[in-house]
Amino acid sequence: MRYDLSAITLLVVFIALSGFNIYRMLSRGKQLWSSNLVYSWIFFLGFVVAEFYSFSVGIWVLAVLSFIALREYFSLIDIRLQDRWGILGAYLSIPFMFYFIQIDWYGMFIISIPVYAFLTAPLLVTLGGRETAGTVFSVGAIDFGLFLFVYCIGHVGYLLLYETWMPVLLVLSIGICDLTTRILHNRMISGWLGLGGRLFIPMLFTILLSRLLSPWTGIPSTHSVILGAMLPILAVMGQHTGDFLKADLGVEEDFLFAGKGQILDNLKSFFFTAPVMFHYIRYFLK
Amino acid sequence: MRSASNNSLARRLIHLLILRPLVKLIFGVNFIGREHTENLDQFIIISNHNSHLDIFLLFSLLRWDQLNTTHAVAEKTYFSRSKIVFRLVNYLFCPIWITRGKPELEEDPFADLKAVIERGHNLVIFPEGTRGRPGELQRFKSGIGRLMVQYPQLPIVPVFLSGPEKVLPKSSSLPLPFCNLVIIGPPQLCHGQHREITRQLQETILTLSNSEPARRHKRRIRNLSQPKSIAFIGVDGSGKSTISRIAAARLSLKQRVCLISDRLEFFQNGESLMIQPLVTEKIREAIGSYAKKVKSLKLYKIPKLTELLLRNNLQYQVKRWYSPDLIVMDGSPLLNMAAWANLYRDHKLNEETLTKAMRILSGQGRMFTRNDPIFKQLPELQLLQRIGQSRIASPDAVIFIDVSPAVANERILCRGEQRQVHETEEKLSRLREGYLKVCEVIHDALNVPVRIVDGHGSLDEVAEESLEYLQKWLLNGEITIG
Repeated sequence: MRYDLSAITLLVVFIALSGFNIYRMLSRGKQLWSSNLVYSWIFFLGFVVAEFYSFSVGIWVLAVLSFIALREYFSLIDIRLQDRWGILGAYLSIPFMFYFIQIDWYGMFIISIPVYAFLTAPLLVTLGGRETAGTVFSVGAIDFGLFLFVYCIGHVGYLLLYETWMPVLLVLSIGICDLTTRILHNRMISGWLGLGGRLFIPMLFTILLSRLLSPWTGIPSTHSVILGAMLPILAVMGQHTGDFLKADLGVEEDFLFAGKGQILDNLKSFFFTAPVMFHYIRYFLK
Repeated sequence: MRSASNNSLARRLIHLLILRPLVKLIFGVNFIGREHTENLDQFIIISNHNSHLDIFLLFSLLRWDQLNTTHAVAEKTYFSRSKIVFRLVNYLFCPIWITRGKPELEEDPFADLKAVIERGHNLVIFPEGTRGRPGELQRFKSGIGRLMVQYPQLPIVPVFLSGPEKVLPKSSSLPLPFCNLVIIGPPQLCHGQHREITRQLQETILTLSNSEPARRHKRRIRNLSQPKSIAFIGVDGSGKSTISRIAAARLSLKQRVCLISDRLEFFQNGESLMIQPLVTEKIREAIGSYAKKVKSLKLYKIPKLTELLLRNNLQYQVKRWYSPDLIVMDGSPLLNMAAWANLYRDHKLNEETLTKAMRILSGQGRMFTRNDPIFKQLPELQLLQRIGQSRIASPDAVIFIDVSPAVANERILCRGEQRQVHETEEKLSRLREGYLKVCEVIHDALNVPVRIVDGHGSLDEVAEESLEYLQKWLLNGEITIG
């Protein structure tokens, strides 16, 4: 166990987030971007546990987050009665994948969902009943949910295995991007100006942040600048995709709560950033 | 009832420390409208019934002190099938057991329930009687009405549960995690006949089930039909841009309408909406305003042509990005080009040439060989074909606003803007002739309905006349020539 400056900073951020969340719970108000704090807090809980107690436990905190997100997605989509076995398979693939992260078996982690879960879920769907109509959509919807909420979010866990401050950098950068998007949205700035704002305002901060944190994340300075520039672009892509999903699933923008699109709304920026940042680091630095 | 008070602390702790967190963690629970139950001392909860999870959800709604004084109403024979289940249910929810079927004559079927209510306790009742098909509300049994007739002062809390029908539907024995939603409506007091009360309560639950938070995604694909396009054409000064804007706003009461005029606008419910900008639109605007300033017809040609081609491209992009039901166009690229060809040629084009030209422009050019005389006559066509711009959409309906050149000239004068090069009386009259000829050609050769509207009246009159025609056309696709 190390108790150096980086660990203490992590703890301070975590305690601050907890404080905000307790305040939010007590005041029951809807402050600006309050729900993002909850999900950031869950991420940080995992990081803090991994840093101070054990990685094997911290990773399962992320698994729970992944489970909650997947559960919300499955609650939102329209499933047939006979898809239930496929959905059970989808839920069971969460421990399956996170176990491979825990034991650092990269090869198996990277194929666990795209090969085994993607093959099992359709089989289970077809074994669930004899009705053929709607099979394609069911299989597609289940596999897609698995991909976004388990596989993509799972990459955060593998980053955590490399170095605690890498996912911390990711979560903080996403926080900056989401906050900017929220502010621009509230100010009714849209169109090209809005897009430019969403890309370049956070970019200033993420580059600065990732460069400043470079001694703790262990990413060399050139790469950390590139990563800092990349993250807002990927985050905007994820937000765009997530917004379309939300609209199709009938999620009302001003009526979000957990179970009705809030988790999807808060995790949408991770869809692209987490896997790409992970593979960038793995390719260039490992 | 015998278990109502014994072991109460243990029971409450089991509820609070084990059942609630477990239900919350595995099956997420969200409450909406919880404040409705906060200030009530005694109440009856009614809810739709879809699965065995329902009772757990309803019990997690209760306050600490209400856990002991709340009883579910359950059917005895169903739960008696297994001894363990019966004792468990009896312990956890201290239910009032009832039996189905006709009661014996002298016995009051509500005796137990009344005793509980008189002691100041609460009840949880599923008025549907049993679990129905997943996600469907069944007819309420009359029991709830008959009971409530006797207690007009007792508030009823209507609750709609959304989610349990997915977690554990009747036909399935495998509970799966899905988010659950407990929607609590405002407490109700019931008066009147028992039938009335039953019906009223059923309505209340139905309203809750249709409320915004309970709404669920349904797999259906909106019928994405190709949007129809309407072109308003006419010489400059005929008022076509104003009229097309009025028409777009009016037509948008029933459908989503996109207006391609000097500016791109999107209308819904009669109002102009903010939309995401398109790059093509910005370029077109710039070129269009440049074209308006040039000094000679020769210089006018290229920017105008570009503007028309971009306008055509814009039409495809609008279809792709905004999927409107109707596109209203101020001028149509195809018809404008054909009419302008008439202006630029010294010799008049005959109908045959014009038909051919329009066929080539609208992408039916493969039937003509390269040596066709049409390409000698109008070399621009070959150029357009070569740069891959010979797929210009023809409109589905055309409204030609006919104004005599003199009046048009006068109106342009009144505008007080800088005159464009072609805005002289002589050129306007040639343009008008061109348009008339084009109208004839598209009606005869391309089978597009055309309406010629007299444009000398006030703008509102002209707009009214065109709208009348358009609405008729939208209804039955009627083809007439005015």
